[in-house]
Amino acid sequence: MIIGRDLTRIYGMGAVQVRALDGVSVEIQKGDFVGIMGPSGSGKSTLLHMFGLLDRPTSGTIIIDGVDAGTLDERARTQFRLRRLGYVFQDYALVPELTAKENVYLPSMARGMTAQECTLACSEILTLVGLGNRIHHLPGEMSGGEQQRVAIARALVNRPTLLLADEPCANLDSQNSKIILDLFQRLNRDLHQTIVMVSHEEWHKRYFDRIISMKDGVIEEEVNRNEGGELTPSP
Amino acid sequence: MFEESKVAFFLAKRSILRGNKGTLSLTILIIGMVFVNLIFLPSIITGVAVLFNQQSIDYSYGNLVIEPKKNQVYITQVSELQRKLERIPGITGVSPRYLTSATISYKGNVVTPVLYAINPSDEQGVLRIATKVSSGSYLADGDTGQIVLGFRLAGNEDEKLDVVPSLGGVSVGRVVDISFNNGVTRQYRVKGIVTSNSFSVDSNAFITKKEYEDVFGIEDMANQVLVRTIETGKENEMRNTLLSFGVQEKIWTWQEKSANFLNQIIGSFNIINFIGTAVSLVIAIVVIFIVIFINTVYRRKQIGILKAIGIDRSIIIKSYLFQALFIFAIGTLMGGVFLLLILQLLAANPIVFPGGPVAPVVDLPLIVRSTMSLFIVSLIAGYVPAWITTREDILSAIRG
Repeated sequence: MIIGRDLTRIYGMGAVQVRALDGVSVEIQKGDFVGIMGPSGSGKSTLLHMFGLLDRPTSGTIIIDGVDAGTLDERARTQFRLRRLGYVFQDYALVPELTAKENVYLPSMARGMTAQECTLACSEILTLVGLGNRIHHLPGEMSGGEQQRVAIARALVNRPTLLLADEPCANLDSQNSKIILDLFQRLNRDLHQTIVMVSHEEWHKRYFDRIISMKDGVIEEEVNRNEGGELTPSP
Repeated sequence: MFEESKVAFFLAKRSILRGNKGTLSLTILIIGMVFVNLIFLPSIITGVAVLFNQQSIDYSYGNLVIEPKKNQVYITQVSELQRKLERIPGITGVSPRYLTSATISYKGNVVTPVLYAINPSDEQGVLRIATKVSSGSYLADGDTGQIVLGFRLAGNEDEKLDVVPSLGGVSVGRVVDISFNNGVTRQYRVKGIVTSNSFSVDSNAFITKKEYEDVFGIEDMANQVLVRTIETGKENEMRNTLLSFGVQEKIWTWQEKSANFLNQIIGSFNIINFIGTAVSLVIAIVVIFIVIFINTVYRRKQIGILKAIGIDRSIIIKSYLFQALFIFAIGTLMGGVFLLLILQLLAANPIVFPGGPVAPVVDLPLIVRSTMSLFIVSLIAGYVPAWITTREDILSAIRG
């Protein structure tokens, strides 16, 4: 359902060029919970940005739900992100002047849903992430864990095909990180939400169905969780 | 389009309600002051124009001025013309008069003002000079050997106080010598002094028409016939009416007679006004631009995030446009309130110009023009910084 073929991303011009991605090919199936791991500079965030249509590959193709992302103009990419993708950032990235409910409300409103539909969708999703009683609080009045759950609710409100999370626990303590990862796991299992998450924490591995390990812009290793719950190398 | 505007309005509203109130209030205050500035100076200029126009009508020309035909010095058989004019509907007063220059001397002070020779009762039907006697009394129809002086012409004993050459402080009851341009010299007792705030009245002198005709040995003539009409503003129509009634002399409107003087004043004022307006608008555009620009730069990362989650760039730009328009709307409203207060203050304590107290004239075209220019300036100042900041690519914006 998500196909990346021969993805290359080269930063810089002239003599000094950095190959952040160097011919990466990857396929992600619907309902997967995929972890992209690797050291800093390995290209994991760059790959996530490609899937999130936040950046364009220097070469290669990305196909999401049969749509070749390379054929979309800027406006169409924005609409694609709004309707088919959900993005969770490392630092929550909420609009500080909007309450939890309004932050979540925003993407559904931009999608053209009625006020009633937006309110219903917001309440449902905020309850799902465990923030049903905090909906009228501003981000500044919430803990990091709560803010990240609002960000997840915002990413999910339009029922995206793909949820992308860029080190969502990087600013959280281990307890809040566990809450977020448990939530991701529940969304994946209960709603069959496809999730691609970037992480460099070893202990996060236990949540992923599949792990793509990257190094120096290439996939170093891919492992899948088997029916017994053990991680085994992909064939 | 409507959906986009709804989201933009939602973002703008929250930003205004929950953003920095201090900066917002100050910006609104500045825009309010700019609005006051855009309206106030032109309203004073219009007020001055209205004042001078009214003075031209009330103290110098009436509504129409009839003068001799080309190459003639006098209008002859003027009493017949006067009777004819008085029968024309819409005319309320007709005053034939002579104008001449004469040399007036008093205690060694010699001046050469314009000397008006009038029928006082006729003149009172056209001009309001008779109501502005500050000492003594005005001329009566049968007066001979008497003169009324403008207060500037009468002058002050301390000549430093004079703004025009004067008689050095002559007062009512004193006698002045007048040498006419036909060589006749006579003595006149000062009957009254007028203070009208009209320069042409206050710097000149008045005797009766009867006296003038006696000096020059002429009868039933005039250099000018002033005509007062019921309605001001329909002078051209009245001129045509006069022509249709067989008036063959030259007919001027008061605007034509005072055009040069007034145009010079208004022209100079308009230059000042243009500079003031331009400076005000530049201040407005710079202030709104800076506020929105700082706002967008400060929220650069947030703008990147909004774009990343699928909020279209045009929505973000519109949200800043709405904020700029809010600043414009409240600023203009506040400016309007300030302006009302200023107008109230000026009604109680008017600004006094050399021509008299000036009432600011705030008319609808002026308000519409000022509001529209501020509106356009706000749109530009809101759009450009938002456009510049949202142009940045998403990842650069997010990374800050």
